[in-house]
Amino acid sequence: MRVQIAATMLSRVTRLTSRTRQLDPGRILHTGSRAPQSVAAHLDDQAADDGPRAVSRTSEKDPARHGEQHEGLHYDIPLQDVGTLFPQSLPPRFSMQVKTFGEACLMVRKPALELLHYLKNTDFAHPAVRYVLYGEKGTGKTLSLCHVIHFCAKQDWLILHVPDAHLWVKNCRGLLPSAYDRTRLDQPAEASAWLKNFKTTNERFLSQIKVQGQYVWNKRESTERGRPLGEVVEQGLTRAKSATDAVGVVLKELKGQSRAGGFRLLVAVDGVNALWGRTTLRREDKSLVAAEELALVHNLRKMVRNDWHGGAIALTLSQTGSLFKPRKAYLPQELLGKEGFDALDPFVPILVSNYSPKEFESCVQYYLESSWLQHEKAHTEDGKKQLLFLSDANPGQLERLCAHL
Amino acid sequence: MAAPAVRAARRWPVLALDLRNRLLRLPGLTQVRWSRYGPEYKDPQIDKEHYRKPVAELTEQEKYDLELRKTQHIKAAPATKTSSVFEDPVISKFTNMLMKGGNKVLARSLMTQTLEAVKRKQFEKYRAASAEERATIERNPYTIFHQALKNCEPVIGLVPILRGGRFYQVPVPLADRRRRFLAMKWMITECREKKHRRVLMPEKLSHELLEAFHNQGPVIKKKHEMHKMAEANRALAHYRWW
Repeated sequence: MRVQIAATMLSRVTRLTSRTRQLDPGRILHTGSRAPQSVAAHLDDQAADDGPRAVSRTSEKDPARHGEQHEGLHYDIPLQDVGTLFPQSLPPRFSMQVKTFGEACLMVRKPALELLHYLKNTDFAHPAVRYVLYGEKGTGKTLSLCHVIHFCAKQDWLILHVPDAHLWVKNCRGLLPSAYDRTRLDQPAEASAWLKNFKTTNERFLSQIKVQGQYVWNKRESTERGRPLGEVVEQGLTRAKSATDAVGVVLKELKGQSRAGGFRLLVAVDGVNALWGRTTLRREDKSLVAAEELALVHNLRKMVRNDWHGGAIALTLSQTGSLFKPRKAYLPQELLGKEGFDALDPFVPILVSNYSPKEFESCVQYYLESSWLQHEKAHTEDGKKQLLFLSDANPGQLERLCAHL
Repeated sequence: MAAPAVRAARRWPVLALDLRNRLLRLPGLTQVRWSRYGPEYKDPQIDKEHYRKPVAELTEQEKYDLELRKTQHIKAAPATKTSSVFEDPVISKFTNMLMKGGNKVLARSLMTQTLEAVKRKQFEKYRAASAEERATIERNPYTIFHQALKNCEPVIGLVPILRGGRFYQVPVPLADRRRRFLAMKWMITECREKKHRRVLMPEKLSHELLEAFHNQGPVIKKKHEMHKMAEANRALAHYRWW
C-alpha cells in the first residue's frame, strides 16, 4: 500500500517536472536538437548540400520539420498558401517583395523555431499558453508570427489571425453604437474586413463547427442552435451593422468549442499592445473613446485570456503602429502598460533580435541569388561590410537599404 | 548665363589656380558663389583606395605629393561626400537639384524611392518576358539612370547674343557640365510640372527615367526641339566669337 502511494507520488512529481520542462526556455537548446524528425528530413536536405559557398535556401517546405540545421536558411511558402493564409495581412514591404520576386521566402530563425518547439509540445488539456514576441523595430516579429501561422495551418489548426490590432484603434470611420450593448461602439468596416479574411483562411472549418447558442440579429434575421458557423460569418458580411456582433459570436463560439477537442485553435494577434493602449477615436460629441468601449477590442481581450484550453495564443508587440508610445520602446512593460501586462501575465516572452552574422550573410546571399542587389559594388566584400555597418544587421533596415541598391 | 569674361576665365584650367582666382576677384567682377577658403586651401582626398596603398608601392612622385600635403592647408570634406563604395557623384548632384528649401532628407528619400521603383518595374518586366527578351532587359537602376541622363543631354545649345539692340538665339557648342546640368534640369522640371497632383514624385520620375532610357518621352522630345531650333538658327552661328 505504501509502495503504491509512493509510486503514484513519484509519477505525479515526474509528470509535473516534465510539464515544466516543456515550457522552460533554458532547456530549448537541448531539447531542440533531440526533437523527433523523420528520416526523410535527414536525407532530404542537408544544410550545406551546395558545397562550401554560402547557402541561403533550403528545400524543406514543411515548417514542422524545420530544426536547428535550417537556422538562417530561407524556405518558400507556395503562393496559393499565401493567398489563403495571409489575405491582405502581410506587412506592406514584404508583400511588395512577394509581388516582385514571385515567391514568398521566409528565413527560419531562432525565435520562430523556439515557438514552434513549444507549439509542438503543447498539452491541450492545459489552459492556452500565451507567447509574446517582442523586440526592437524591424527585427522580424511579424514574419516570425507568419512562420508560426504557416506551421499551424499545415497542422490543420484553426487560425484566428488579427494582422494589426492598431488598425482597430485609429483612423476608423463610421463608428456606430453597438446594438448588443449600448455603452460600446461598433466598427462595421473593420469587422467586415476581418470576417472576410477569416472566411478565406478557415474555409473548411466554417461548415464543420456548429453554433451552440441562438443569436437574434434583428427583427427578421436570427441564427438557430446547430447551424454551421459559416452562416454567422455570412450574416456579418452581408449586414455591415451586425458585423461586429458576428465577430463577437465567432470568438465566443470558438473559445467555447475549442475545449471539446474537435479542432485546435491558434489566436495570433499582431500589435497586441493596441488593446490596452489609448485610441485616437472620438464620438460625435468629440469625447474620446477608451479602448474597452470598442466591442471588437473588448471581445479580443476576452479571447486573449488564458481561461480556455485546446490551443495556443501567439502575440506580437509592436511600436510601429502604436499610439502615444515612444519610438525606442520595445519591452513588454513599456508597450503594454500596467493594465496590459497584468492582463497578459503570465506569458512566455520570446525576444526577437537583429540578424546574427550567419543570418546576415544568408540574407545578403539570398538577395544576390535573386539578383535583387544590382549595384556592382554590392557583390564585393567592402560592399557587404558597408551594408552591415549601415543596417546594423537589422532585418528591416537591411531590406530597405537593399531595395535601392 | 555667366558673363563671357568669367566663363572665359573658367575655361583656362592651364592657368595657375591663384591667377584664376585673382582674376575673379577683380573689381567689377562680383563672385556669386565663393568660399571662405583662401586659394591656398587644397581639396581633400576622399578616396579610401588612395590611402590603402602600402608605402613600398608608391612612386617617387606620389611620395613627394604625400609629404607636400602634410604641409598644406586642406579644406574640410563636405558632409555629402562620403568614402562609401555606393557613392555616385551624378546621383548626389541630381539629389541636390531635387532638393527644395534645404530638405536633403526628403530629396534623398525621393531619390532612393525612385531607384527602387525603377528596379521593381524592371523586375516585373523581366518576370513577364521570355528567355530571349530577358537578356535585353536592364535591371540595374543606376545604369538606367546614367544612360537616361546621357540620352537627354543636348549636343548643341542656344545662347542669346546682343547685336544691334536685339537678342539673337545663336547655336553654340555646350560644355560637358552644361549638358549634364540641362539634362537633369529638364528631367526634374518635367516631373514637377507635368504630373497629376495625386501622383507622387518617385512614381513619375521612375516613369520618365525609363522612357528616357529607351530614347522616348517628353525630355528626349525637348532635347530634339533644342536641336531643331539650333539647326533652324544655323545662319546666326557666325555671331559667336569664341
